[in-house]
Amino acid sequence: MSWDNGVVVDNDVAQLRRGDLDALSALVTRYQNRLYRYLLRIVRQPAEAEDLFQVTWIRVAEKIQRYDPNRNFEAWLFTLARNVAIDHLRRIRPESLDEPVGDDATGETGATRLQSHEQPALEAIVARERTSRIGESMENLPVVYREVLTLRFEEEMKLEEIAEVLSVPLSTVKTRLRRALDKLRVSMEVRFPGETWQ
Amino acid sequence: MSDHQKIRKMLSLAAAGALDQRDEELVVNHLRGCAACAAEAETWKQIGSALRRLPTPQPRASVVERARAQAQVRLTEEFEHRWNRAMLTGLIFFAWVLTVMSWPVFKLVTGGLIGVLDPNFHHVWFLFAAFTATAWIAGGAAAAILSLQQRRERRLA
Repeated sequence: MSWDNGVVVDNDVAQLRRGDLDALSALVTRYQNRLYRYLLRIVRQPAEAEDLFQVTWIRVAEKIQRYDPNRNFEAWLFTLARNVAIDHLRRIRPESLDEPVGDDATGETGATRLQSHEQPALEAIVARERTSRIGESMENLPVVYREVLTLRFEEEMKLEEIAEVLSVPLSTVKTRLRRALDKLRVSMEVRFPGETWQ
Repeated sequence: MSDHQKIRKMLSLAAAGALDQRDEELVVNHLRGCAACAAEAETWKQIGSALRRLPTPQPRASVVERARAQAQVRLTEEFEHRWNRAMLTGLIFFAWVLTVMSWPVFKLVTGGLIGVLDPNFHHVWFLFAAFTATAWIAGGAAAAILSLQQRRERRLA
């Protein structure tokens, strides 16, 4: 996030703490895609992610007075979203917190569920295939690995921020990240044997 | 474990930009002289790039609007609750001050200036104290019942 963006966010957060509805609206607009993507990576079902998206913003409205302005707002927001999603999984599918799950009964693959609602840009076929396979393999990882991968590679968070979101030490973040990448690669090699990355 | 093996284990973290400066330098120096590790590092780099290129799914506009509206309603409610709480606290404080102040005034009116300094209690005093206590208990009970009812309504909503 650039310095300018940081200032705008800080300003919006300060306004929100004073009860400004426009500031809340601005923050929803700013974070809508990133927050939804993060939730979708955790729960994998668009309908559930949409429900959790709404619950997360209600939590923001409820807890903004307890937010410490010295903390990073993004990390705080993603921590709230994570807690909402993990509570949901614990209630609905407790097994999903530990075990990787295959494609569901709808026959819809992970990669198609991860696709944007918008038409993807015309990219090189190889790169698109590769990205699609990565998405499919990532979906089969346990939630602890999916979330660390999305926070690092998609949200481009610093390791310290990830540690804050996950409430774990920095060393644990590194360990999870390494294991997640190793498992992702193994998963790709099993699902798509012969795939070359050179 | 040899240095080669150690470095090889770091390559995935290097692609994730998760190594500290010292380890980063170790990896870079090793890659200059080790073709196998350089190829492995390239593979991890490609995996990292593909992860960064994953399509960003977007929530439906109607979902965003609903989330926005619900959050705004909740924010308004939260601030109303805060205002109500502050108002109630202020009123209670004011009522107590008024009550305590009214005792010597009451005594002054009923017993003259000397009566204010008179430490003896008599039946009018006890009546006055009983009235105050009853009023406070009734007020407290009403506030508790109202609060419980509001909480129940919020839960149902």
